[in-house]
Amino acid sequence: MSAYITLATPMIDQECLVAALADMGFGADRVEVHHESVPLVGYEGERRNRTAHVVIRRQHVGDASNDIGFERRPTGFRVHVSDYDRTQYGRAWLRELQARYEHHDAVKHEQLRRAMREAAEIEARRLAEMEARRREEQRKELVEAQRQAVQQKARELGYRVQETREGDRIRLVLVKRVY
Amino acid sequence: MLNIARTLPRSAVNGPGERFVVWVQGCSIRCPGCWNPDTWSHRSKVTVSAADLVSSIIRTSGIEGVTLTGGEPFEQAFELALVASSVREAGLSVMAYTGYELEELTAAAQRSLLRLCDIVVAGRYRQRERTLALAWRGSSNQRVYFLNERYGPASMPDRAECEVHIAADGSVTLTGFPPSALVE
Repeated sequence: MSAYITLATPMIDQECLVAALADMGFGADRVEVHHESVPLVGYEGERRNRTAHVVIRRQHVGDASNDIGFERRPTGFRVHVSDYDRTQYGRAWLRELQARYEHHDAVKHEQLRRAMREAAEIEARRLAEMEARRREEQRKELVEAQRQAVQQKARELGYRVQETREGDRIRLVLVKRVY
Repeated sequence: MLNIARTLPRSAVNGPGERFVVWVQGCSIRCPGCWNPDTWSHRSKVTVSAADLVSSIIRTSGIEGVTLTGGEPFEQAFELALVASSVREAGLSVMAYTGYELEELTAAAQRSLLRLCDIVVAGRYRQRERTLALAWRGSSNQRVYFLNERYGPASMPDRAECEVHIAADGSVTLTGFPPSALVE
């Protein structure tokens, strides 16, 4: 059978990510949010190579744990979980986090739509429209970043890429001569 | 009713030309290392009548045919034969994947579906024979059968192919036979 693999929808909205972490037991008192990325710290207090913008410090993760971090990248937040902590904060935890993120993202989207439709005050409506525009820009940047990331990876793997667009959807056909 | 996992209205790497692809839900074979283990369960996922599926396929402009994959299409052979028959009448070609060998497809409905296919890719997926170097196949034991004159070996691309779809929300879907490095 040919593959049909959907990769997780990238997490790009910091507010929704923080809300999702709160649902998973990491409320505001346990999560640091930084404008510039900061180094993650290991279980012995040493600086690790990774940096992140949203950080759960090791004392909140568990005994002998390392920091968990979310690094903002053009293709969405990248999660840094140490090998040690993956037993508890591995794929299943990330799947649940992703589901909570998507829930908050959908709620926020709907709230903005409603606010733009119903807000009586001009200022409230203007703010909602600004936020909706920001999210739309963020979405476009994400799609472009995803496109560039796939293009680059494909070229590194020796594929030639044929790109077509159908509405908002981009299709990249990757071909490589093999015989 | 058909139990399907999903459809893709347009793909260029699931057989010759642009094709509407149907991944059916349910497979008893369950080859280790299968690309789509989420399609093994026979629980209802998306139920659709053969007539509605045909209508979706025929409404899609610019396609050359339909590809049935899964899951195991020949476990829903009766309904899919209805689909295949109708899309053929509309001038489209039919290609099907199966984890069975052709000689294992002995039920009447399975033989009917086979007769309506132009191309069948048959055989278990064997992880130790995994390959990205053969057109339309995931492991080298699988065979491509051209069942009539419409297509022949010249219809097969001489290159490895996969396809990446980026949706409006930035989510990424891969189809065809993607290398692991692309999936990670």
